[in-house]
This record gives sequence, structure tokens and C-alpha cells, in this order.
Amino acid sequence: MDGSGWLILRGLCRGLHLAGYFSAFGTMALATTLPRGARVPGLRRMAWGGFALALLAGAAWFWLQTAYFAAAQTSADVVNALPIVAEYTRFGLLLLGRMAALLLAALAFQLAWARVAALLALGGVLAEAWLGHGGAMAGPEGAMLLSSAVLHLAGAAIWLGALPALALALRHLPGAEAAVLARRFSPIGAACVAVLLGTAALQFLLLVGGVGALFTTAYGALAGLKLLLLGGLITLAARNKFRLTPRLPGSRAALIRAVALEAALGLVVLLAAGVLLQLEPPAMAGMAGM
Amino acid sequence: MPVRHRFVSAALGGLILLSPAAAFAHAFLKTAEPGVGAVVAQAPSQLLLTYTEGLEVRFCTVTVQGPDGAAVQAGKPQAVAGHENEMTVPVHITAPGKYTVTWHALSVDTHKTEGRFSFTISP
Ligand SMILES: [Cu+2]
Repeated sequence: MDGSGWLILRGLCRGLHLAGYFSAFGTMALATTLPRGARVPGLRRMAWGGFALALLAGAAWFWLQTAYFAAAQTSADVVNALPIVAEYTRFGLLLLGRMAALLLAALAFQLAWARVAALLALGGVLAEAWLGHGGAMAGPEGAMLLSSAVLHLAGAAIWLGALPALALALRHLPGAEAAVLARRFSPIGAACVAVLLGTAALQFLLLVGGVGALFTTAYGALAGLKLLLLGGLITLAARNKFRLTPRLPGSRAALIRAVALEAALGLVVLLAAGVLLQLEPPAMAGMAGM
Repeated sequence: MPVRHRFVSAALGGLILLSPAAAFAHAFLKTAEPGVGAVVAQAPSQLLLTYTEGLEVRFCTVTVQGPDGAAVQAGKPQAVAGHENEMTVPVHITAPGKYTVTWHALSVDTHKTEGRFSFTISP
């Protein structure tokens, strides 16, 4: 369970879990910005779909992480360690608590309390930051990393998480309402991009350290890939904002396709993030043997 | 906008000051009692290990080998209340000589680290 294959598998499960969680949250958040009286069939099903993905990928992540913690040789070893991880580790407590919050959020969403649901799910999104290096570290670097992780998670979840629901709403709403929604989402997306770029720059300085590390370390290479993908996402989003959105409702089909492509790229970014979070950041690498 | 400009340069300067590897990701040993490489007169009844990050003590292991190669740790690592980044290890040391501590740590960020150091008992 110590090999790099297992590491990547743990990372992919973590990324999928985040993708499900983000899309459940983003669906609830988007529902709060719908034009008055607008009805989008399938939004509740989409929120439950995100919940199911977060739950299944989260369960797989929990299992793999427990096997790694306990250096388990057999599945019986893992089963024995599961309650200890659930009760005594920050990882276990956070994952279970966040899933409970998402379940409550999905139930609230079912009752049409979209704001309550979005707030509950947002809490679960942000709590993930305490599992990162900033949350584990004391001192000013720790506080800086933790606050930047909170902002980064918020930006990513609001933007990427809302994309599937946005595509669904653009397809089902009448032309005028679809245009109102797209114009409302546009500045929110732009604000998220600004937050993501700012926090990525800070994390680059504190965790990657320099351009050289992009080419010499696995962490740097993955961080570089994430930056490239983010660049691609921003290009797509800019085209949506400046070319397609102003031409609504005529450009609706093209906009839906572009939003779906953005969501797919976003999923790849989250999978890369999941693996990245398993690795040691080169700028803070420890001394061997100490 | 000179004021804003100055603010931005100050913020960037602060970042650059902080960016050298002053902090370590993952749990690395910060200090130990007895200290790394220390020579002490009196045998301790426990070791105190302090790390750079919070620990999941239930999944940390520490072995202490005496001069004759025998293990002298007297139990599993114990958490220190109120100090998430510390653990103690009870030891049963009866002879002088060099003791080697080998530790495996799991930090709250889900990452594992390991290392070793030694100290000497010389009454
Ligand atoms: Cu770490």
C-alpha cells in the first residue's frame, strides 16, 4: 500500500470525491441564483448524483487511506483499522463530518431550502482545507497556507461545481431566463478565477518554490499541469463571457457545449489536485534522516 | 496609485522573505528529549519527540535500540494533551551506551515520514 500506484489511486479517489462534493454544492448554489420563478427539472437529481459520487469515491478513499495508515497487508487488517481511523484521526473525522453535512444539505435541497443547503455544503467544502499542509502546520506559514486553501477551495467549488448545473439550466430554461442566468453567473465565475489565480500564486511561492521545481519534481510537474489546465479553463470561460453570453439566446447551443467542456476540464483539474495532495511540496521538503 | 503600489511591493517582499524553506511540509522531527546526538548522564524514563506538524499518534511507531541491539521502548507512543505535534515514548534503560531511535510518523495531513537519531547515556 506504499507504492506509487496506490498513491495515485488514493489521489484519484480524493479528486473524484471532491468533484462529487463540488458539483452537489455548486448545484445548490446555482439554484439560489436562478431568476425568480424559474424551474429547472433535474437539479435535485443532479445534487443527489454529486452526493452519491462524493459518498462512493469518499468510501474508496477512506478504505485506501486506512490501508496506508495501518500498513495493512490484508483486507482484515483494513477492517480492523477502520474504526480507529474514524474515531481518532483528523482525516476520518473530517471525511465523516463532511459527508454528514452534505447529506443534510441534500435533504434540505430536497425540501427546496436552497440557501440552507448551499451554506451547509459550503461548510463541508471549506473544511477540506484542514486536511492540507496549512491545517497541519503552526506559525505564519501555516496560517497563510490554510487561509489560501480555504479561498482556493471556495473559488474552485463555486466555479467548477456550478458548471454541470449551469449547463442543465441553460438547456431547460426559456431563452430570456437562460440569458439572465448566464449573465448573472459570468461575474461570479470571473471573481472565482481571480481568487484561484491569486491563491495559486501564493501556493506556488510557498509550496513549489521556483520555476525549476516545475521540471525536476513530481509535485512541480503536477502543479504545472494544473496551471496549464487552469489556463485552458480561463480561455474557455473568457470566450463564454465575452463572445457567447452577449449573443444569447442565439448562441445557446454553443454555450452549453462550451460549459460542458469546461466541466470536463474541471474534472481533470480536480483529479490532478487529488494526486498532488498526496505528494511532498518541494519548497517545504524535509531533511532526510531527521 | 503610489499607495497601492507600495502595498503590493510590501506584500510581495513579505512573501519572498517567507518563501525560503523555513517550514516543512509533513511531520519532521523538530526537537527531541534527550536531544539528537546528546550525551546525558541520567537515563530518561521516556522520550519526548516534537514535530513540525500535528501527529496521528495511533499510527506512529517508535523503536529504541540499546548498545547491545535490544529494543528498550516500553510501550507505544503516547499523545501529549494540548500538544498535537508531540509524542512521548516510555523507555526502560538500564545500561550506559549509545541508543538509536527509529521513528515512523503519520501527520494529520495524511502523509508518512520516518527518520532516526541517537543519543548516549554516559553517567
Ligand atoms: Cu505532508
